[in-house]
Amino acid sequence: MAASNAVPIAMDDTTDVALAAAGDRQAFERLYRAHANRVYSLCARMAGSRVKGEELTQDVFVRTWEKLPQFRGESAFSTWLHRLAVNVVLNARKTDSKRDSRTDDNEEDGAERWDETARAPMHVERMDLKQAIDRLPAGARKVFVLHDIEGYKHEEIAAMCGITSGGSKAQLHRARLLLREALER
Amino acid sequence: MTNSIMTCEAFDAELSDYIEGMLDGQARARVDQHLRECVRCASLLRDVERIQTEAAALPDLVPSRDLWAGIEARIAAPVIPLVARPEKQRGVSPAWMGVAAAALIVATAGVTYTLTARSFDSRNSGAVAQGALSPALLALPPSTVVASTEPPGRGASSPAVDSGAPPQDTRVSASARFRSTTSGRVTAVSRNLQPEVPRSEALYGKEIAMLQAIVSQKKTRLDSSTVAVIERNLQIIDAAIEQSKAALAKDPASILLSEQLSHALDKKVELLRTAAMLPAST
Repeated sequence: MAASNAVPIAMDDTTDVALAAAGDRQAFERLYRAHANRVYSLCARMAGSRVKGEELTQDVFVRTWEKLPQFRGESAFSTWLHRLAVNVVLNARKTDSKRDSRTDDNEEDGAERWDETARAPMHVERMDLKQAIDRLPAGARKVFVLHDIEGYKHEEIAAMCGITSGGSKAQLHRARLLLREALER
Repeated sequence: MTNSIMTCEAFDAELSDYIEGMLDGQARARVDQHLRECVRCASLLRDVERIQTEAAALPDLVPSRDLWAGIEARIAAPVIPLVARPEKQRGVSPAWMGVAAAALIVATAGVTYTLTARSFDSRNSGAVAQGALSPALLALPPSTVVASTEPPGRGASSPAVDSGAPPQDTRVSASARFRSTTSGRVTAVSRNLQPEVPRSEALYGKEIAMLQAIVSQKKTRLDSSTVAVIERNLQIIDAAIEQSKAALAKDPASILLSEQLSHALDKKVELLRTAAMLPAST
């Protein structure tokens, strides 16, 4: 782990959330230390890229700093943070490359392909689950990560991603079949 | 494969709902029956459930580097410590903020006027007073401005920004200073004045910008009358800031004026912070 934990992590976020909302950067760093890996995991898996995941993680925490004064404590901070992270990733995807835009066009009908851009051919060696998830088509990967890893419901995913609940189910089914295929090779 | 109750295609369509327990009793029984008879679909179910289980158990990933430095650099802004007073902040009434801002503007304007008049008169005896400046002089473009802001006696050594300007014409210098500072632009005209105004702006600028962004986003969730009071008071404080800057431009050595400007900027930060912390229901 590259991160240095110079700032002690508090057992309870509540105090640090209040301090950070008032502008205390040390408290905010403690929050970062406590949640960085989970946020990074979400970002990297949804993006299918470690490098992109790091960029997005930074974006998420900058956005969190900006939004923190508006956090009203109606849910756990971690829940709020993860929802914010999902939104940051989804918004980033909207402005991403033409390739992603083209893939998004296919999200609802499930007519997806493996995302092989800038990646090694899949048939060369058997992949583990992490690699296989990274190589899913963007739309299927997004739904799979949110549903099977992060535990969101189809209705929540549909609302966040701007698709129908049925579309979310179709994407998930597609993702699972593709993962099965990849893992069987 | 097909059996009397369900096809494999129909099973595929029901698979997600089956795994998530979303099927009613009859539909679930049909799937169970199919699974007992179809090797292909039973294998598919096992694999999908395994993938689901493994995915849920995936450990957190760890960034390859510490990302905090980059985050901190992006959120960094000069933090101006204010006394923590969460209870008072929530209890601040718009009326109180109005009174405080009005007192600030009155005090700042009074001090500014007094000091400006005194220092300006004493340092520019013989020069045209600010209010008596010719409209033609006030309308001069910046390119005709003399750079010197030194008092008479040091003007001979002051460099001119535009060699076309008459270097000895203190009236032009005065009008240029007046125009440049009242318009909020402290340019080459006031090269000698720059240490005071920009220093304060640099100190507070990022903090104010950050807070203004937060307040701007929050406005839609605040009561409209509260937003109106905040905006009115910000205008008052901004006016005080501008007056202080203008006075400082004329008397850059004045510690009192500098403190007045800092005080006004402090008030702006304090008001913005208060606004940023207001509960949405206010």
